[in-house]
Amino acid sequence: MKDINIVIEICGSAGEGTISAGEITSRFMSSQGFEIMSFDSYPAEIRGFGKCVAHTRISSRQIYSPGKLADVLIALNDKHAISQLSTLKENGILIYDSQPARPHKEDESVAGWAKPGMISYGIPLNMLAHKASGNARGMNMVALGALAALFYVDKSPFTDSIKTRYAKKKQIVIDSNVNSFLEGYNWTKENIKKIDPHSFKDITLPKPKEKLIINGNQLVARAALDADLSFYAGYPITPATKIMEILSRELPKHGGVLLQTEDEISAIGAVIGAGFGGKRAMTATSGPGFALMTEFTGLSVMAEVPAVIINSQRAGPSTGIPTKTEQSDFNSAVLGGTGDCPRIVLAPADTKSCYEATVLALYLAEKYQTLVVVLLDFFLSNSIRNINIPEKPSSEYLDANIAPDKNDFKDYQRYKITKNGISPRAIPGTPGGMFFSTGLEHDAYGRPNYSEAGHTAMTQKRFAKFNTVLTEAPAPEISANDRDEFDIGVISWGSSAGAAHEAVMSAQKEGINASSFSSMMLSPFPEKALIDFSDKCKKILIPELNFSGQFAGFATRILKRSVERLNFITGRPMASEDILQKMREM
Amino acid sequence: MPENDHYVIIGNGPAGNHAAATLRQKDKDAKITIISDECVPYYYKPRLTDFIAGEIAKEDLMVNFQDVKDIRIRCGQAVKRIDPDSKLLFLQHMEKIEFSKLIIASGSRARVLPTMSGYADHLKFVTSYTDVMEYKEEIRKAENFFIFGGDLVGFKFFKMLNSMDKTVTIMIDPDAFWPYRLTRDMLEQISENLLKFNTEIIVKDEVLSIDRQNGSYRVKTRKGIEKNVDMVLSFNGLNPNIEFAKGSGIDIDYGILVDEYLKTNVDGIYACGSCAQIYNQAIKSYTTSIGWPNAVVQGEVAALNLLGDHKIIESVGQKYFDLEGVKIKTTWWEDINEDNDA
Repeated sequence: MKDINIVIEICGSAGEGTISAGEITSRFMSSQGFEIMSFDSYPAEIRGFGKCVAHTRISSRQIYSPGKLADVLIALNDKHAISQLSTLKENGILIYDSQPARPHKEDESVAGWAKPGMISYGIPLNMLAHKASGNARGMNMVALGALAALFYVDKSPFTDSIKTRYAKKKQIVIDSNVNSFLEGYNWTKENIKKIDPHSFKDITLPKPKEKLIINGNQLVARAALDADLSFYAGYPITPATKIMEILSRELPKHGGVLLQTEDEISAIGAVIGAGFGGKRAMTATSGPGFALMTEFTGLSVMAEVPAVIINSQRAGPSTGIPTKTEQSDFNSAVLGGTGDCPRIVLAPADTKSCYEATVLALYLAEKYQTLVVVLLDFFLSNSIRNINIPEKPSSEYLDANIAPDKNDFKDYQRYKITKNGISPRAIPGTPGGMFFSTGLEHDAYGRPNYSEAGHTAMTQKRFAKFNTVLTEAPAPEISANDRDEFDIGVISWGSSAGAAHEAVMSAQKEGINASSFSSMMLSPFPEKALIDFSDKCKKILIPELNFSGQFAGFATRILKRSVERLNFITGRPMASEDILQKMREM
Repeated sequence: MPENDHYVIIGNGPAGNHAAATLRQKDKDAKITIISDECVPYYYKPRLTDFIAGEIAKEDLMVNFQDVKDIRIRCGQAVKRIDPDSKLLFLQHMEKIEFSKLIIASGSRARVLPTMSGYADHLKFVTSYTDVMEYKEEIRKAENFFIFGGDLVGFKFFKMLNSMDKTVTIMIDPDAFWPYRLTRDMLEQISENLLKFNTEIIVKDEVLSIDRQNGSYRVKTRKGIEKNVDMVLSFNGLNPNIEFAKGSGIDIDYGILVDEYLKTNVDGIYACGSCAQIYNQAIKSYTTSIGWPNAVVQGEVAALNLLGDHKIIESVGQKYFDLEGVKIKTTWWEDINEDNDA
């Protein structure tokens, strides 16, 4: 059976059903057993008619990145689609409206900009939508019908996916969408001479297990609920808002409390307060909000209060570009803040590991009584995958607090110096467990103490936690680790790791002896594993989505060797094709 | 109107591309646009059979024509209508394009004879890149073919199938080398010369019906011959691609009528290549040229004249075509030495 590996982009204006069409395509293809990875981009403004793009990669094999260029561009809006043609492959397929409501002036039609080698299929999207439902709203479904007809996709299960998508709407809405789809399908079958090679004909994959079609934000919220989150405080901010939206609905059902604060400073303050009170608490924000929280993050570390911050990175600095992806908060998450401030930072590499990272964050924060930051980004927050339903966390991850025993209560020292840096933590109100808590440097009882020896001991204690945290984190992912030597080692983090892994697999097929290394744990970082990997590699490449190579600089200090950098700030996710090209040039 | 001149060329073949290159060479500032209904860039049509036979790669079909610089090439865009008065082109996808001057080099497409109408749905025409991409796998897999017609491409195609050890029946039609009709002597000579290919040749007969049966085709002729084959292909010459010009006021016969300067009856509009019928002073009539070299020269001459030159077109390249051992002089009015050509 031949492989399917195709990227479809639907481009329209906000309100034209672009994202819905992408979602339906993803759900349908998932139901047919394909791997999917989809990613939407849309304007930052809440209202208006900005450009929306639903990008979906569909594959009969495992995929790790969304694919840089599209095989198919469906243009629901000519003006926006013209600029999107730059991401269509040289031999890509353009599906456009051949009978728009008004004639185009010169150069205003996307069809007029199709490059030689591209295949253009003109479908009367607007006319067929009117025929099906009396208005243009069904253009997106007409386009999906045309797509299904062109690629020999079975129309019946596709219409089932449409019905499912609109199941909560009135029957007339369902009918309009299905009819629009069928109009597009039938018209294309009868009128279009297919000249492209893509076909889903005779491709039958095993019936997939029940899968979740879900994005990173949804998984974070689900993981937080499964990990017994009790309290959430936050201030809405793209691209993290969805986490708060879900929890505002679901957390009260689980007995928890959600507080929308007036700003991010209050949010982290409330989270630390709840953590101090013994509740599992977290907040979610983006770079600008994280910057506001910085002072309070120090309190969490200093007062040893569990707190979890999900930081979904956007392009920056300042308020930056809310709806574009970037990995430029590495420095602020790992190194930001005042003083020697050890914190745990996790960076999931893909949608699935957003669940794992959130569960781990709440666990580690509670056990190590400290701040844990989870670094997502716009792409991870919003890209949709079909994944197996994650297993719920075992009980050890749900109750991690190391509580004082009766011996501790004889002379309770909340900040007792211990070998692993963890002191028995009494929840306020525990008889015999009274203590001082402050952001000032303190002694073992929590009383302010600025002595030379005291500050040294307490700083050592806080850093001592790092010695054992690494043993609780997933080991770094290293491909082809059984080999002794590599010509190129690709080290990556966060959402770039999938693209790096895919690029290395492609490079290996081309005969390049390469391997990839990525670690969910950014702080503390598994330095020994990184050095061991580096020792095997003649050359090192570090791709990341920021301008200055923040992680590359961090890694260079550990490795004490020069590395090749590959940096993009396009606002798009990392592309395996770019990494592969760089590897070929090295 | 645009600030600079906007020269538009309809057609992305040799005539169109050489017209564009000449325009660019002579006018550095003009806006130049090529419009083609085919999605593919400029390619060597004569090499299509070699590609099907697997003798050349897809990339080898493409013409690496460096002379078309700063020229916008609009592929996969069909012109629906011309309005010479307002100097507007209307494209199929409802876009209007203004032009200052226009060269029509839209080429031609497979000719469907009126007698084919009853079974045309079962015929395959392999005259363009798109056709080849659509049928190449089918052609490679099929074993038995019926070729109907017999123009230059048809015989080349036949030889390609023969080299692939396919079984071919060929019915030669005297009208296939249109617009030149093959004489009875020519037909007999051609069929005699084809016998060396160990193939079945049918002449002086015509197809009565073609029916689809269980994935193959049953071809019946008027003289009672019946054949079961996997594919039926038609090679009966080409028809100019000029539907968009009908009703525009541009004079048309079966092609676009132009004078010796390749100018149509409408100021600022020229035509060249196989879509044009060119007036020939020697015979006081219109002729159609064939062959790549002719198209190249006509494109260049049309462009020069559009810019104000006054060049008379002359036929170039092959003036005799070898049709399976029979020499056909396509510029029969010219007094030329046969030995210098061919």
